[in-house]
Amino acid sequence: MSSILVYISTNGGKVKRSSLEVLSHCREQAGKNGLELAAVVLDPRAEDYIDTLQSYGAKTIYTVSNPIFINHLNAPVSQALEQVIAQSKPRVFACASTEGTKDVLGALAARTGGAALPDVAAFDVTADGVSALRPVMAAKILSQNDARADLILVSVRSGSYDASPSPVVAGVVPVDFVPADISQVLRDVLSSAGDKIDLSEANVVVAAGRGIKDEEGKQLVEELADALGAAIGASRAVVENGLFPATTQIGQTGKVVSPELYFAVGISGAVQHTAGMSNSKVIVAINKDGDAPIFQMASYGLVGDLYKILPLLTAEIRALKSA
Amino acid sequence: MKFIVCIKQVPDVYAPLQIKNGELSMDTDRMVLNAYDASAVEEALVLTEQHGGEVEVVLIGPDKAKETIRKALAMGASRGHHIHVEDSTGLDSAAFAEILTAFFEKNSCDVIATGKQSQDTDSGLAGGMLAAHLSLPYAANAVGLHIDGGNTLVVKRQGDTGQEMIALPFPCLVTCSNDMNNPRIPSLKGIMASKKKPVESLTLEDLGLTLDGVRESVKTTTLSYREMPAREAGKKLEGDAEELVSNLLNLLQNEAKVL
Amino acid sequence: MDDKFDCIIVGGGIAGLSAALTLARSNMKFLLVERGEFSGAKNVSGGVLWGSRLADLVPDYWQEEAGFERYVRHRRLTFLDDQSAFSIDFKSDHFNEQPYKGLIVLRSKFDNWLAGKVEEAIAESSYPEDSFIATNILVDTIIMESGRAVGIRTGEEEFHADVVIIAEGVNNLLTRQVGLQDNYVPADYMATGVKEIIRFDQNVLEDRFQLDGNSGLTNEFIGFASDGVEGGGFLYTNKDSVSIGLVLNLKSMRENLSQDRKVYDILSHFKSHSAVKDMLRGGEVVEYSAHVVSTGDQRALPRELYTDGVLLAGESANLLLNSGKAIQGMDYAMESGILAAETVAEAKAKGDFSKNTLKEYRKKLDDSYVMKDLRNFQSAVQFLHSHEMFTSVPKVVNEFGRSFFTVDNKPTPKTPAMLKDAVSKHSSLWNMIKLGIKGARSL
Ligand SMILES: Cc1cc2nc3c(=O)[nH]c(=O)nc-3n(C[C@H](O)[C@H](O)[C@H](O)COP(=O)(O)OP(=O)(O)OC[C@H]3O[C@@H](n4cnc5c(N)ncnc54)[C@H](O)[C@@H]3O)c2cc1C
Ligand SMILES: Cc1cc2nc3c(=O)[nH]c(=O)nc-3n(C[C@H](O)[C@H](O)[C@H](O)COP(=O)(O)OP(=O)(O)OC[C@H]3O[C@@H](n4cnc5c(N)ncnc54)[C@H](O)[C@@H]3O)c2cc1C
Ligand SMILES: Nc1ncnc2c1ncn2[C@@H]1O[C@H](COP(=O)(O)O)[C@@H](O)[C@H]1O
Repeated sequence: MSSILVYISTNGGKVKRSSLEVLSHCREQAGKNGLELAAVVLDPRAEDYIDTLQSYGAKTIYTVSNPIFINHLNAPVSQALEQVIAQSKPRVFACASTEGTKDVLGALAARTGGAALPDVAAFDVTADGVSALRPVMAAKILSQNDARADLILVSVRSGSYDASPSPVVAGVVPVDFVPADISQVLRDVLSSAGDKIDLSEANVVVAAGRGIKDEEGKQLVEELADALGAAIGASRAVVENGLFPATTQIGQTGKVVSPELYFAVGISGAVQHTAGMSNSKVIVAINKDGDAPIFQMASYGLVGDLYKILPLLTAEIRALKSA
Repeated sequence: MKFIVCIKQVPDVYAPLQIKNGELSMDTDRMVLNAYDASAVEEALVLTEQHGGEVEVVLIGPDKAKETIRKALAMGASRGHHIHVEDSTGLDSAAFAEILTAFFEKNSCDVIATGKQSQDTDSGLAGGMLAAHLSLPYAANAVGLHIDGGNTLVVKRQGDTGQEMIALPFPCLVTCSNDMNNPRIPSLKGIMASKKKPVESLTLEDLGLTLDGVRESVKTTTLSYREMPAREAGKKLEGDAEELVSNLLNLLQNEAKVL
Repeated sequence: MDDKFDCIIVGGGIAGLSAALTLARSNMKFLLVERGEFSGAKNVSGGVLWGSRLADLVPDYWQEEAGFERYVRHRRLTFLDDQSAFSIDFKSDHFNEQPYKGLIVLRSKFDNWLAGKVEEAIAESSYPEDSFIATNILVDTIIMESGRAVGIRTGEEEFHADVVIIAEGVNNLLTRQVGLQDNYVPADYMATGVKEIIRFDQNVLEDRFQLDGNSGLTNEFIGFASDGVEGGGFLYTNKDSVSIGLVLNLKSMRENLSQDRKVYDILSHFKSHSAVKDMLRGGEVVEYSAHVVSTGDQRALPRELYTDGVLLAGESANLLLNSGKAIQGMDYAMESGILAAETVAEAKAKGDFSKNTLKEYRKKLDDSYVMKDLRNFQSAVQFLHSHEMFTSVPKVVNEFGRSFFTVDNKPTPKTPAMLKDAVSKHSSLWNMIKLGIKGARSL
């Protein structure tokens, strides 16, 4: 039986929520199309994830355990995925859209001769291919795309589907993988502070923009995030000026987030920013300019000075949480 | 050291646009240099200014797209290659990567730089596809580049939780983020010089391809466009900080029920 | 010197581009510098290019459709009071002939298109690689040497030319720098223009405004539109949108607008009139912009339109006429740009770029319709300034309209009586007669 193969991304010893979202949607698609649901994990200890994956319905789990996967490097990842694809011959290869998968999707499509639909907001497997909706033009427009090929590769924006468990007992296929000669060398990994909570998985995000002018402002944001148990995000403006690390950037160039609650603090709401957060459930905007475009999409817009609002807000939230 | 940067002409996403019968229609026919490619050109220029060498650009597109090649030449690139395809509607990243592959089989360089994605479609595929076809080591989403020892490109790439420093031996390929730099605005002297710089005109046939052949390799199609479902503006609160905060908390707790 | 130009043009609006096209066709080596990212990027206009001069610059332009939105076939002048609208309406097949007598344009598109024509002309000229349109460059200064202009400075860079055509538009900083315009132009000679573009489904627009193919409607408004401020409103149909806006006198705005009311509020007021609202129903605002514009008062003209090594074209010289039936700024810009370039070509042939030769430009302009109309219609400009024109006149007109068009089960007064009655309600007969005579003379 042909299959949908889901490539699983992990972080800190756990399967990423966005991968579970994709897995859940693919389970439904596999059911509709009479396909089998398979998953592949690349990790120094790929076996560790079997329980989670079978609880979300993966019938076959390819585990590729190799120390090389401790850090991300595109060559071994695409080699391993190419090998698993050759072995399992899926009709559809799906993954969550992350910086890690974006790094390999094009090369993998070229190497396998597959068709690629990157960064989709929704997709359906059909009798003869895949049809998908993709945000384009800085997410102002949705385009309806079709792919027809023996193999179709899809990456899915986080938050597009709900992750819902549906336990099965999986067959586990350990894959014997030997990386071919790799000419790239990973010299260093610079991890930044500020990603204590994974941004793209967070339920609450406090995002800072150019309205945050200095360290003092940054501290106000950090305190609010701390009080809320939120992840910190940022607009390009404050990543560019060095106040916030690049990992926190949300938008067309940065990450896509879809939390329950999103605070846009001192962010004007340029399309390239909103491209990454417009799927948030509740958006709170704090901006002193009542005409800022962010107010057109905010659930609650506070017109005022963030330097005055944030300390009060943080204090009130702390009081609320301790009550 | 020689860089060849792949540049694309894209519609200006700031220009008003609308959808008519499922097709995208731009009010102005304004086209611009893809912002990510502009960053790639900028970084290549900075590196060659530091280490010697030159920067060339290659573009697949219609006649009108020559202005975009000129823009890169005005920034400081020394030579342009224009692969002329007047009507590229329907071509996807895979098709462009196939054409670029044929080009690079005839034109060698130390580093191929592309944008991390096209600003209009956000595909982000062509770079990796090109690297795979040419069997080159590559890294995507570069936010910083430097040259090490004359034959190694060190890429700082933005990953999911941090940044990775990856060394790539020449020849290699890198896809560039616009977070890498702010592309220079061409000076008047640069603009004037750009007109005298050589631009090689190529056809698909020159590269041993045909448009029909390329179209056959297209595997994805865009069927139609539609508006993004718009978010409704919610409540706008005004007043002093105390009022704002207490109103907000009230709404978050009792209306949105997220606290 | 290798990179000395015959001419440098500052500003890539209609004046600058028309000059450039003319220079390219005269085989001159020139540089046009535009500060916007592209020609048209910074240009706001309600959008009717009057007259048929474009056909001289770009023969058969109508064949390609690009560039303009619609041609003017249907014209309307509307007087508004707070409840009614009284229009003079004229539609004619006579307007269908090419070249058209008026084109409705969107500047961001039209200027960009015209710039493309200049590029084509450069490519065909003797200086395909030595004449330029350079965008995204701001000219800081005109370089003067012993009283004559010799070039421009932008940032650190300097470029030299025999003549500089200043076509920088209404903000005329450089015009002042070279001493041709006073630093202070009274607010009374200046207006502010606001405009919205409102988009419709093209079929809806064509049905609603009875447009056929590329034909278009222009509608000017007097009265309620400007809410007591001196000025008027306009509505032009584009391909699938309308441009609607106001031109309001700056001085009158200062005097009649309370602090918290903005230009935008007057525009909303205008749009809320039921006659206007009915035209705009279902449309979506896609753009809002505001821009200063001259009123066409002759007193705002610069001291002179040329000096050694300099010519002024378009609105940098406040060349504009607002006679009530049309705003003519773009056609003046085009005409003056062409004439300036022709003068430069003649000066080049003579090898003399002093005032002595350049004064020919003034002569050409004086002989053209531009200066003739500017002079002849001054009283119309003044007439439009009269307070009654946007207060009592529209009221009188509508009062009359109301009685004239009302059919009721009562004895109907004769028309002259209706008129008299309308006048006495909102003004005095004497005032209206004075105004009538003034108006008749001025137009
Ligand atoms: C190809 C491309 C990709 C891009 N990708 C991204 C991306 O991924 N993410 C991204 O964010 N941007 C991106 N951008 C940049 C984007 O266009 C905007 O420039 C950026 O988002 C602006 O950030 P901002 O809202 O913080 O700053 P601004 O637009 O400067 O807004 C700052 C806001 O803060 C408010 N403010 C100032 N002081 C206070 C105060 N004391 N209290 C309250 N409010 C205050 C101001 O009123 C203003 O609205 C991209 C651009 C391009 C061209
Ligand atoms: C709301 C409104 C409605 C109008 N409606 C009409 C109408 O219906 N019909 C009509 O004929 N006219 C109309 N006008 C007037 C018309 O727009 C102007 O008269 C006309 O644009 C003048 O053309 P120009 O080329 O002289 O100047 P502009 O079109 O203003 O062009 C000047 C150019 O110079 C550039 N520039 C300025 N300074 C520099 C510098 N230092 N360095 C480099 N570049 C520089 C600017 O960016 C600009 O592109 C209207 C104006 C307004 C505001
Ligand atoms: N038509 C083209 N001509 C030259 N380079 C291109 C073209 N299309 C795509 N590219 C390059 O490929 C990158 C990624 O493209 P995409 O896959 O469309 O997101 C771009 O940033 C360019 O560097």
